[in-house]
Amino acid sequence: MNNHSVDKETPASTGKIAVKVDDLTVAYNYKPVLWDIDLEIPEGVLMAIVGPNGAGKSTLIKSILGILKPIAGSVSIYGKPYEKQRQLVAYVPQKGSVDWDFPTTALDVVMMGTYGSLGWIKRPGQKEKKASLEALEKVGMLSFKSRQISQLSGGQQQRIFLARALVQNASIYFMDEPFQGVDASTEIAIINILKALRKAGKTVIVVHHDLQTVPEYFDWVTFLNVKKIATGPVKDIFNDDNLTKTYGINYKVSIQE
Amino acid sequence: MSSAQLEIQLIACIVAVACAIPGTFLVLRKMAMISDAISHSILPGIVVGFFITQDLNSPLLILLAALTGIITVVLVEYIQKTGLVKEDTAIGLVFPALFSIGVILIAKNANDVHLDVDAVLLGELAFAPFDRLFINGTDVGPKSLWVVGTILLITITLLILFFKELKISTFDKGLAASLGLSPAIIHYGLMSVASVTTVGAFDAVGAILVVALMIAPAAAAYLLTTDLKKMLALAISFGIFSAILGYWVAHWLDASIAGSITTVLGFVFLMVYLFAPLKGIIAVMYREKQQRTEVSLLTFLLHLKNHDEVEERHVNHLNEHINWQKVRAKTVLDLALKNNMILIENNVVSLTKKGNDFTSKAIDYIITNEDAQIEDMKDDFFLFRG
Repeated sequence: MNNHSVDKETPASTGKIAVKVDDLTVAYNYKPVLWDIDLEIPEGVLMAIVGPNGAGKSTLIKSILGILKPIAGSVSIYGKPYEKQRQLVAYVPQKGSVDWDFPTTALDVVMMGTYGSLGWIKRPGQKEKKASLEALEKVGMLSFKSRQISQLSGGQQQRIFLARALVQNASIYFMDEPFQGVDASTEIAIINILKALRKAGKTVIVVHHDLQTVPEYFDWVTFLNVKKIATGPVKDIFNDDNLTKTYGINYKVSIQE
Repeated sequence: MSSAQLEIQLIACIVAVACAIPGTFLVLRKMAMISDAISHSILPGIVVGFFITQDLNSPLLILLAALTGIITVVLVEYIQKTGLVKEDTAIGLVFPALFSIGVILIAKNANDVHLDVDAVLLGELAFAPFDRLFINGTDVGPKSLWVVGTILLITITLLILFFKELKISTFDKGLAASLGLSPAIIHYGLMSVASVTTVGAFDAVGAILVVALMIAPAAAAYLLTTDLKKMLALAISFGIFSAILGYWVAHWLDASIAGSITTVLGFVFLMVYLFAPLKGIIAVMYREKQQRTEVSLLTFLLHLKNHDEVEERHVNHLNEHINWQKVRAKTVLDLALKNNMILIENNVVSLTKKGNDFTSKAIDYIITNEDAQIEDMKDDFFLFRG
């Protein structure tokens, strides 16, 4: 895995490991959801995590972020535990994980991205507001800043979530199904932002469902189904063999060259 | 107004505000029933505290009650986590168990003291001014005024300090956790405040009605605003309004103060539920009717744009062609005319320039899947709404 050929869109590999997962096992009520996962994510990749429903894709992200407590194993972000590296990490949860009827505006949701660097008690000020407005502009949602969040379409809500991650100005971005229930134009807008992030040297990890778009959107992929099936550059490992191993039935995809 | 009356109203107002603050977050977290559970299950804590101190306003009693409140929440979560029963079932199992322990303790041991089940369930605000606090022999006011005042002060301080944390952990627990703003600390903190407030409110309104003070003002405020701070402010205002009006209703009717306050709260919620400008029942019904007519109008305009043939645009044939009843066809035709979107010449309908522009734009939005924009566009084109 270390001597992979570098695809021309990827910034020259820095050789650094952004995220390292060792022997991670997570269980809900004693039923393992993730089993002995070893994973190294190199800095600067745009990686898809793919696998069937219940494969533990979201669980993997949540465990890396310390939202779920694993029963075994460890995670490190640039060589240190997550708790010490929070500032380097931004997280976009599934859109359906929150109540969009909550009484707040688009700008306010984006500002929540700044709460991590503020820490306890301290309130966001002008600096945080300015950064949030910039993030809204990047996702093309500036004109909706005062809109109550329930008045936004699904795609717009997803853009707000993305802006909230952008405002964290992190090195590593974790996104849980950002393309779920969004229209085509939002999907393109999101993928362009993700590609821009990679270009800026950031590492982006996305739970992804649409296998057809994997070769087009991503340069790195991890196949997951409770156990890790494979991980590496899309053009080396995104093949029928790994798809079949992951999904358990014969998969035929045409990989665009 | 006597000073006792003033003191009673002041206590009622403070209790109402102290309840409205945690209540707002409970409503947003969809945990309204947890306040019901806490208000009942803190009874054993109160009883045990009362046996030790013989004083309903003792801080120890408040601490013990808050502790029982937390135990309730932990037990509910534990039972729920086993996956054997759902959350509402877990609540229904835990609080009667703890409450009944409290009832038995009172019945067995407290027959000769001033603590009975009625007082616990309904409270007695009218007696509050008689139990006074003396410092160095000076009367500084009713004891319960000091108790609820202190609780309110703590609640407001915590709200101001942790507003940001409360907001993020209520809206998005996962993000709060990933940012290191432990949602668990906020959760148990909120539960503690709710428990302490409930104990403080006990004296005033009792276990059953404290739930109304927590939930009704917040639920009404939720229907009126889309801003968390305004929701808090509205909930607090409804609480104060109901406390004062409730007191005077009780005065006029010579009835229970707690009962009157709750009745007013219920009435306030009902009014908001019916008449809230955006989310109220009447507004929703009106909007649905308006939307139905406007969708019909758009359908009608699209039909006109699609058809040049005279027979497709003849007034008398419209209901055949679009398959509408006469009344509906007439409403739509009138609306289109009023908005200068159509012309009728010799009983043949045609689009005006404005009607044409409106329809083309609407088609664009429908094709590009930006239906929401049509609503914004209506503001520009419509002189009269449906």
